[in-house]
Amino acid sequence: MSAAIAPTTAPDHGTTRTDAARVTFGRVLRSEWLKLWSLRSTWWSVALTVLLMAGLAVLMAGALGSAAESPDLQQTMDADPRLAAPSGAVAVTFGYGFAQLTVAVLAALSITGEHASGMIRATFAAVPRRLEVLAAKLLVVAATTVILAVAGLAAAWLATVSMLSADGLALDLSDGEQLRALGGTVAYLVAVAALSFGIGALWRSTAAAIATAVGVLLVLPLVFQVLAGSADWAQDVYAYLPTVAGERVVATGPTPDGLLAPGAGFAVLAGYTVAVLAAAAVAVRRRDA
Amino acid sequence: MIEAQGLSKVYGSTTAVDGVSFTVRPGVVTGFLGPNGAGKSTTMRMIMGLDRPTAGSVTVNGRPYARHRSPLTEVGALLEARAVHPGRSARSHLRALAATHGLPDRRVDEVVELTGLGSVARRRVGGFSLGMGQRLGIASALLGDPRTLILDEPVNGLDPEGVLWVRHLARRLAAEGRTVFLSSHLMSEVALTADHVIVIGRGRILADAPVRDVVAGASRRTVTVRTPGAAVLRTALERAGGAVAAPDGAHAGARDGALEVTGLEAAAIGDIALTAGVALHELTPVASTLEEAYLELTADAVEYRTDDRGDRLAAAGTTSTGEQP
Repeated sequence: MSAAIAPTTAPDHGTTRTDAARVTFGRVLRSEWLKLWSLRSTWWSVALTVLLMAGLAVLMAGALGSAAESPDLQQTMDADPRLAAPSGAVAVTFGYGFAQLTVAVLAALSITGEHASGMIRATFAAVPRRLEVLAAKLLVVAATTVILAVAGLAAAWLATVSMLSADGLALDLSDGEQLRALGGTVAYLVAVAALSFGIGALWRSTAAAIATAVGVLLVLPLVFQVLAGSADWAQDVYAYLPTVAGERVVATGPTPDGLLAPGAGFAVLAGYTVAVLAAAAVAVRRRDA
Repeated sequence: MIEAQGLSKVYGSTTAVDGVSFTVRPGVVTGFLGPNGAGKSTTMRMIMGLDRPTAGSVTVNGRPYARHRSPLTEVGALLEARAVHPGRSARSHLRALAATHGLPDRRVDEVVELTGLGSVARRRVGGFSLGMGQRLGIASALLGDPRTLILDEPVNGLDPEGVLWVRHLARRLAAEGRTVFLSSHLMSEVALTADHVIVIGRGRILADAPVRDVVAGASRRTVTVRTPGAAVLRTALERAGGAVAAPDGAHAGARDGALEVTGLEAAAIGDIALTAGVALHELTPVASTLEEAYLELTADAVEYRTDDRGDRLAAAGTTSTGEQP
């Protein structure tokens, strides 16, 4: 990595001190990691989310188990395409709906928090190549999201393994679809975190960024779900909303009418994420800090 | 060394910094003086590569700030108090900044001790007083042992002991051969700390000179004279080269009128009065304070900017020529 950095021994002031203490991307990455994990809010929000993913998985495992004996519940579940084909993965991944809110807030805060406090100026003064800062922050947010998602899924599996086995719904990692749903949960959460991080970098304000992220993640699908009942175009738009499309990679079972296939759906979400991050990169480079 | 060339910053229809050029040299403390809103902070942010200049350029130690590979060892900056996430401890904040340059934790501990933050370093910054926040900002600035220091209003919020500490620190850093550029809106502070001063008002440089010159020029001396023969004395004083003004709008010829005389010592005025046969009821030398002189200097930047600085300082506010007969 340091090989990519131009030699720093400027002829006018070539001191060994300057040589040793120069900025490298690895160091920026370490700095951003220290920043995120030196905030208590990071620790408790990750811990809380892991616990809630386990708790929600238990609820869902219970519902799947009793569905056979309760026609009413079975009917409700049949209406939801995500639950039409019950499997261990459906229960274990169920908490992603909550986890996406945590990672969205955590990701947005990792940049808006610096703007709110003025810390961003100290950051950009230490690392004037701002895209390095942006990339390092994004990587740290993504890595944290992977840790959160894997820990959450592991906790969910541990909490539900005996219930699911009893109902013949044990998680089967040799089943490609279930494996894809588990990996998809991690990928989906990383994409949502990256999207929200991009929104935070664009908006700079915590309130505006979180409002936008929640609006995109939760409110838009609700609005278009209502509209879809009366207008075909709304159904088309609905399928391409970031979360509706992205969530397909978490789902198991046949693709319902009007929705995208898992791979295509995730590609749509990734597309939005890349577009927002690109816009954020341009804005961060150009703007006054 | 900081070198600015025709540096400008325009926000919409507001020109915050208007084509300033200056050089800040190593080995001395350079004060950057101006009222709030004069463009000090904007200029400093442009030096640091945080704000993009609308026109012009500025280099630090020979190149634009953003081109340095090791910026913290080149420039340490205190740009605003409390540019720190409130949920982070002082030590974590410094460690995160140090990590960008691979500086060891040992250096973090050094600046913590140097700035007197030892007892609070592990506390969260959110609970810090303004003064402790300011010390943390200075600790951040010193982290890379930089050759150039940029301190924006470093004494804001400090108690008298802290003010003294900053003053000594700035002088010591300059004595070590570093470039120290320190802004303030208080002339008295700059006069006590700096060797050289750049005065800015409405985005333009009003003065760029050694502090003692500015102080000498700014501390104009006037003499208040009260006499029943004001008209006669006035003529005599003006013939002797003095500038005479009648304050409070009183007519120079009015009975018991007070005159403000500049350019003549009190003793000389007394002699002239004796020669002219005019009785004196009052003869009081008045030295304007630094603060007053500075207010005059910056009160109307547009009016003063094209004048020669020395004359301008001496003449500022002393005449009300419309009153002359």
